[in-house]
Amino acid sequence: MIAWSGRRKALMILAFIGPTLLGILFLNIYPIIYNVFISFTNRNQYHPNPDCSVLVTSIIEPKCWPFFKASTGLGTPYTIQSPAFANYETLIGQLATRPGLIAIAEILLCVVPLIVAGQVNKYYNRKISRPISGSGVWIIGLALTILIGWLVNFPNALDQLQTDSDFFIVVFRTILFVAITVPINYIFGLAVALVLNTEYIKGRTFFRTAMIIPWAASTMFIIMSLVWQFFFRDVGVINQLLKIVGINGPTWLNSPTYAFAIIILVNLWFSYPFCFTVILGALQAIPADQYEAAEIDGATYWQQLVNITLPLIRPAVVPAIVLSAIGAGGFQMFGTVWAITTGGPSRGAGVPGATELVMVYAYKQVFQFNAYAKAGAFAVIIFIFLFIMTIYSLRITRITEGAFE
Amino acid sequence: MTRKPKTFAVFIQYLFLVLMTIFALYPIWFVILASGRVGQRLFTLNLLGMFIPTEFNFDNYQIMLAGQQQPFLLWMRNSAFVAALTTIACLLIATSAAFAFSRFRFYGREAALILLLAIQAFPAVLSLVPVAQLLTAFGLYANLWGLVIAYVVGNLVFTTWLLKGYFDTIPIEIEEAAMIDGCGPIQSFLLIGLPMARPALAVTALLAFMGGWGEFVFASVLVPSPATRRTLMVGMYQIANSPAVPWGLFAAGAVMTIIPVMIVYLYFQRYLIGGLTLGGVKG
Repeated sequence: MIAWSGRRKALMILAFIGPTLLGILFLNIYPIIYNVFISFTNRNQYHPNPDCSVLVTSIIEPKCWPFFKASTGLGTPYTIQSPAFANYETLIGQLATRPGLIAIAEILLCVVPLIVAGQVNKYYNRKISRPISGSGVWIIGLALTILIGWLVNFPNALDQLQTDSDFFIVVFRTILFVAITVPINYIFGLAVALVLNTEYIKGRTFFRTAMIIPWAASTMFIIMSLVWQFFFRDVGVINQLLKIVGINGPTWLNSPTYAFAIIILVNLWFSYPFCFTVILGALQAIPADQYEAAEIDGATYWQQLVNITLPLIRPAVVPAIVLSAIGAGGFQMFGTVWAITTGGPSRGAGVPGATELVMVYAYKQVFQFNAYAKAGAFAVIIFIFLFIMTIYSLRITRITEGAFE
Repeated sequence: MTRKPKTFAVFIQYLFLVLMTIFALYPIWFVILASGRVGQRLFTLNLLGMFIPTEFNFDNYQIMLAGQQQPFLLWMRNSAFVAALTTIACLLIATSAAFAFSRFRFYGREAALILLLAIQAFPAVLSLVPVAQLLTAFGLYANLWGLVIAYVVGNLVFTTWLLKGYFDTIPIEIEEAAMIDGCGPIQSFLLIGLPMARPALAVTALLAFMGGWGEFVFASVLVPSPATRRTLMVGMYQIANSPAVPWGLFAAGAVMTIIPVMIVYLYFQRYLIGGLTLGGVKG
C-alpha cells in the first residue's frame, strides 16, 4: 500500500513497531539470553553476585552496568562452570548413562505401535475401501503397546528413570498431567455443548450463562484455587459432608494420588467453560441438512456423532486443544497448583513433590533454593521443547496461514 | 437432530446439566455464604448453612472496607491502577505495531511475526529473575510502574497478533481511497484504522484489563512489599497464608473481587467469545 520507499519509509515503520520491539527486546529476549548465560555459571545461594571484571558478566548483569554499579552485593561472585555444561549434566543426571538410555529406548519402543497405527489409518483413509476399520487398527496398536510394555517391563524402566533424575520425574509428571487434563476438559466441554445444542432442552440460556461463570473466575485463579483448596482440607467441606454420611475422609492433600486428581478437577473447573464455548460455536456452524440426510439414511445418534459432528468440529477444536496443551492450562500450569499444593505433598527432602509440575519446579528452584544456574539450565531445555512445540503447533493449527499475504 | 428423543434420555441430559451447573456455581456460592457468616472460619457445623444462607450479615465486609486489618481498598486501588495503565499502554503500543504489520510491507516482516510467537514460548515464570534484576537496575523494583511495564510486554505479542488479524479483515480500499486524497500513513492509522478496529480494541482492552487485575505470579515477585503497595491478588494470597487465617474476611474480600469481574464478563460475554476467534488467535 505504501508507495514511497527508502529512509522515510524505514523511519515510519520503525516509529510504528519500535516501541513493541523495544519492549520485546528488554523483557522477552533479554531474559532468554540471560537464562542461557546463567545456565553455564555456578550462580546459586553461595555465589549470588556477579563478578563485574569478567567481560561477559559485565555486559549481561544489570548490576554491573556503569550507570547502576552502586548496588553490587558482597558475597562470593559466581563464575563460569567447568565444564560449561555441568548444570545440564546434573539436571539430566543419569539419563545419559547406559541404563538410563536403555530405559528411555524401552519407553519409546512402547509408543511405536501407536504411531504405526496412526500412520496405517492415515494411509487407509485415502483409499476407497479398507480391510480393517479405524478403531480396529487402534485396538491392535494398543494391544501391541501393552504387549511390548509387558515384555520390556515398562514400570521397571519408569522407576529406573524416576530414581535417576529430578528432571525426568518433573517432565514425565507434567506430560501425564497434560495427557489427562486436556482430554477431560474437552470431553466435558463437548458433553455440555452437545446437550445445550439441542432444541428440546428448556432454559438453555440460563445453563449457558451459569457455565460461563468459572471462566470469569479463572482470571482470578489464585482466589478460587484457595477456595478449592479449602474444600479438600482436613476439616474442609468434602470431609464434613463425608462425616455426615459416616465416613472419615482422608487428608486429601497429603496423598500424592488424590492431590494430583484434585489439581485435575480444579483445572477442569477453570477450563471447561472455554472448551464448551469453542465447541458450541463450532456445533452451531454445522448445517442442519447434514443431520437430516443422515436421518433419512437411518443413522443412529452415535453414527451421526462420530461421522458428522466430530469431523466437522475438528478444525475449530484442534487449534484450541493444541494451544491449551502447551499453554498455561497445560504444560505451563503454575498458579492453580501453587495455590493448592505448592507442589506437595512432599515425597522426601530434595525430591520433587507429587504435584510439582515443570513450572512449579522451576519456581521453587529459583525462589526457595536460589539455584539460579540450575533453573537457568532447566529453563533452556524447557524453552527448546516449547519452541519446537510452538512451531509444530503453528503448522498443524494453521493459525498463521494467510497472515502473510 | 430432528428425532424426538426418549423421555429417559432427556431426563439424563437434564440431570447432567444440573450437576454441571452445581459444579460450576457451588464454589462461588460457597464463598458468598461464608462471607456472611459470623466468625473467621469457612466451614460451618450447620449442614443447611453449607447450601443456603441461614445467617447473613455484612460485618466481614465492613471490616474489610474499613481497612483496620488489611488495606483492602488500597490493594483494590493498586490493582485498578496497574490494570488500567496496562490496558492503555498495551493499546497504544500494540495497535500501531499491529497496523504496521498488517498494512506495510517491509523486509523481515514475516520473520518478525513468527519470531514474536516463538519468543512467547519462553515461560514467563522463568524470566522472572532477569526481569526483576532489570527493574531493580532501573529503580522500578517493588514499584507498581515496573509491574505495569512487565504486564504490558507480557501482553504485547497476543495483542499484536489479535489486532493484526483484525486489521487484515478491514478492506484496504478505504485507505487507498484516502491516500489518493493525500492521506499519509499516520493519518490513515489514526483516522481510518483505529475507528474501524473499535470492536477489536474493546476486546483487547477487556482482556488486558482482566489480565492485569487477576495476575498473581509477577505481582508477587516484583512488588512483594510493602503491604500498602501490593495488588489485590497478592494481598488476598497473603491473607490466606497467614498463621491464623481470617477466613471470613478472606471470603468477603474474594466476593468483592470476583463479583464485579463476573458481571463485566457476563455483560461482555458475546464480544469476548467473538473476540477470541477474531484475529485467528485463540487461547
